[in-house]
Amino acid sequence: MSGASLPVERRRRWPPQWLRPRAEEPRSRGRLWRIETLALALVGLFLAVATIHDLVRQTHINHRLVADLRTWRHYTRHDYVNISIDQESLGLDSGREILCGNTSPGAPGAHTQICLAIWGPVIDGRRSVHGGWYLPPYHPDLRANRYGCFGPAGRGRCPR
Amino acid sequence: MSVAAHTQRPLAGERSERRPAALAAALALALVAAAAEIVLDAAAGHSPLVPKSPDISAWLTGSGERLGFRVFLIALLVSSACYGALGALLLRMRGTVLSPRAAIALVAALQLIVFAGPVLLSTDVFSYIAYARLGVEHGLNPYLHGPAAASSDPVFKYVGEDWIHVATAYGPLYTLLSYPLAALGVVGALWGMKLEALLASAGTLALTWRCARARGFDPVAAVVLVGANPLYVIYGLGGAHNDLVMMLAMMGAVALMTAPRPPVPGARREAGAAAVIVAGALIKATVAALLPFMIVSRRRAAPVLGALAAIVLGALVGYAAFGIHGIDLVAALNRDAAFVSTDSFANEIAHLFGKPGVFPVDHDLLKAALVVILAHLLWRTWRGYDWVAASGWALLAISVTTTWLLAWYILWPLPLAVVTRDRRLLAATLAVQALFVVHQLSPLLAPI
Repeated sequence: MSGASLPVERRRRWPPQWLRPRAEEPRSRGRLWRIETLALALVGLFLAVATIHDLVRQTHINHRLVADLRTWRHYTRHDYVNISIDQESLGLDSGREILCGNTSPGAPGAHTQICLAIWGPVIDGRRSVHGGWYLPPYHPDLRANRYGCFGPAGRGRCPR
Repeated sequence: MSVAAHTQRPLAGERSERRPAALAAALALALVAAAAEIVLDAAAGHSPLVPKSPDISAWLTGSGERLGFRVFLIALLVSSACYGALGALLLRMRGTVLSPRAAIALVAALQLIVFAGPVLLSTDVFSYIAYARLGVEHGLNPYLHGPAAASSDPVFKYVGEDWIHVATAYGPLYTLLSYPLAALGVVGALWGMKLEALLASAGTLALTWRCARARGFDPVAAVVLVGANPLYVIYGLGGAHNDLVMMLAMMGAVALMTAPRPPVPGARREAGAAAVIVAGALIKATVAALLPFMIVSRRRAAPVLGALAAIVLGALVGYAAFGIHGIDLVAALNRDAAFVSTDSFANEIAHLFGKPGVFPVDHDLLKAALVVILAHLLWRTWRGYDWVAASGWALLAISVTTTWLLAWYILWPLPLAVVTRDRRLLAATLAVQALFVVHQLSPLLAPI
């Protein structure tokens, strides 16, 4: 009889108490809960600040790009829709952009393109054109493809 | 006089009881209207929010106008506000504001509206089809080749530009599941994928209902909080994302572990639950995050053995079908971990500190932070914290620390959050989703 009950006792002894799964956490969790909640609130606040900051930043960029498009259209007297915007060549986060678009109606890049270097504050919905260059049809805006550079921003940006 | 007062009192009480129910009905209608507006406008085509796609919703064309950012974001904001208000009502007035039938009708209407419309906001579904067609139609291994390897395939023109050279990062089980759809042609496969997402969503919601009831929560609130969630409906189901199939496996495992009778599930159920999680990880690896929490909470051999058996079986099938690359999920995850999306919190924090974007060192810092969070959660689970809640926190931590955050990634913890006692998880998940929505608003504030 005792021999038969031995495996049951052994089973009860294994796993030991500290290794057995718990249905609930110990009572001392109140302090931990408060610390965790505080950490969560701080992380949440930080993420909210980062998100709002990025939203404001993106809104300013959009506002600037709208002014750039308006500037390109005003400068070239072409009310075209397909205008490419390069935000990196003149420095990422510099607020300086290069906008390229056709000089005559057609598919994007299908005709000679005019590129304008634009920066400065938005005044009356537009920014200042500081120079530019031309590109042959179907040619990306690379130094080797540029010609007819003009203005201070165009100086030294054409191959010859 | 006293008789009049006596008869008026119950009427006033009835009216005050009816008011939240009427408000809930109005909020539900607004949710349906906002979803219908997005889908009908999306069906008109030529929208930056609708990927290039075969015209599968031509019968809806003419009912809406081209979907622009303004209408989309207003509809998303309205949906989010209505969802938040409805969720708060349901949690506060348990079971009194919306009948089970009305809740199911609301969730079903939202799912079916989106199912009927075009693919929304993502080209991922075309990548799924392209990988299936690579294997079935072209005899190429989708774990070695990107869709560009079959650029003459009719689905190729619909695949997102960023993904044309990228081999699949999904598990071998998902790839095998998608193979039967490849032979249906692009349109047939697209409907197949949409149907798969719809069925996975329905299954996830049914299991959420079951788990909520078994764990002592209001199933109506649980199902509405998941199934009427705007990101779940518009982004998740709208894009027919395979995350929904992964979430079905996730909730299947939780349902197996949530056995009301006997109070502790038997060894077979535990082994089965662990195997289901492994199956989910063979669809999309992220769900594997649940396994350590389940094992630590039980501390029995059954889930370990169940997981091991499923891993061996999955590895054998994956190896037989796709070779060693089919089971090398770690390589695929490492590759994807290097991507950076504009919506990731890592990117936003980098901008906050004046940096142009995420640097390699930031990836390491984020991984270290994730390891610390997971270690803390494991310790809490060891001490008796609910493993389902710990798993939800882990999935939320993964989505917050990843540099490649997409809307459907912040859906992962939601079904777990509605079936756990720690309400902080639900609050944190919804707060992260709200921040995601807020981050989308710049075209509304400064249209371009």
